Amino acid sequence: MQVTVIDYGAGNLRSVANALYLAGAEPEVAASPEALAGAERIVLPGVGAAGHAIARLRGSGMADALDEARARGTPILGICLGLQLMAQRLDEFGSHEGLGWIPGRVGPIEEAVTTPCRVPHTGWSAIAPTPRADGLIGKGPKDRTVYFCHSNCLTTDPDIVAATVDLGSPVTAAIRHENLFAVQFHPEKSQQAGARLLQAFLDWTP
Amino acid sequence: MPVNRIIPSLLLRGGRLVKGTAYAGHRDAGAPASTARAHNAQGADELIVLDIDAAREGRGPDLDAFAAIGNEIQIPMTAGGAIASLESARAVMAAGADKICLTTTALDRPELITELAEHFGRQAVVLGIDVTGEGENARLHDHRNGGTARDGDWLAWMQEGVARGAGEIRLMAVDREGSRRGFDLELFAAARAAVNVPLILEGGAGGLDHLSEAMAAGADSLALGTMLVFSDNNIVKLKRVLAQAGNPMRP
Repeated sequence: MQVTVIDYGAGNLRSVANALYLAGAEPEVAASPEALAGAERIVLPGVGAAGHAIARLRGSGMADALDEARARGTPILGICLGLQLMAQRLDEFGSHEGLGWIPGRVGPIEEAVTTPCRVPHTGWSAIAPTPRADGLIGKGPKDRTVYFCHSNCLTTDPDIVAATVDLGSPVTAAIRHENLFAVQFHPEKSQQAGARLLQAFLDWTP
Repeated sequence: MPVNRIIPSLLLRGGRLVKGTAYAGHRDAGAPASTARAHNAQGADELIVLDIDAAREGRGPDLDAFAAIGNEIQIPMTAGGAIASLESARAVMAAGADKICLTTTALDRPELITELAEHFGRQAVVLGIDVTGEGENARLHDHRNGGTARDGDWLAWMQEGVARGAGEIRLMAVDREGSRRGFDLELFAAARAAVNVPLILEGGAGGLDHLSEAMAAGADSLALGTMLVFSDNNIVKLKRVLAQAGNPMRP
């Protein structure tokens, strides 16, 4: 299956493409809006600061092309910053308007938890899937322990949350909404757990 | 909360891996890509890869080696070696790194920490703190000239680095590198009390007991060099024993 990986100058495309290849897909990197027109499935990866990423997506016309793909019903997987960009607002080094595909706001982890925790949240943590995960996330401990590396997190409508991670209080680890599936962690860096999740995305019918 | 991490620390020189003692006397330690593949297969939680000649040779890091390693692993990679600009950091990330480790280049120009944090997010910026001496004699070390950096005050520099945007610390007890006499837990405790970001402790691991002691003291992320390179320790065995002893390890 062909999967289009969005290149907007924000990080680890090579790792994402490698992991998709190992999951059995044919990854194709797209740096222009035209390349999204026929996309079967889209992965919106991302490592980086929100402001630069949003500016790049809008400036290149990629944001509009992604809007159209979303409206067409193309399954889209967001990873880390890719999840955060789907929100309405992102507050990191200033306040930025997101793609607005899902309700809610992205802000510092410190503001989302009631008990102080180590920030950034870096390392392997166990996630707790909700019924919303609908098989996209495995249930065994090996499938649920995944690699995180983030300072900000999404606060959103609890109905779309597909998994949480316990940082003293539960923090959004994954969402599923219409044709969108997005994760705060890095499946491409999560060995077997990540490969299983990518395969589930490839098989997913929204 | 994250589980404990075991992190192989790989040193690059001339396209090969090397390992030394107290940042000197380096011996050949194998081929980068196949070693990384083995660590990945054994369940290493992350890799640190440092190009140790880049600073002294006045060049950028070995991007080809980073890419060769990155292609073999499905765990995160922290890469370092004379990364002195945003452009250089971007090239290292494009080669497959997930985090950038700054050590001497941040000493030369502390603003670099902030520039990278604003671009990649602070979780992607690891500040390397090299310390020689112990206890009250612990001093911030500059491996390029073997001398003391910033009047030796490693704690102040670490705190400044975090304030400038570093999202993780690699704390290296240089005198213990390759010594196999155990981690510097006093150094760790002082660092842990001073900053809230994740801390990776390195230098001195020689056996399972050292890992257990360090974890009992709260050092949840341990970097291993010599212990993995020049002995028959394997990560599967180490992690299994640590888990059986009650440490939170990745299943």
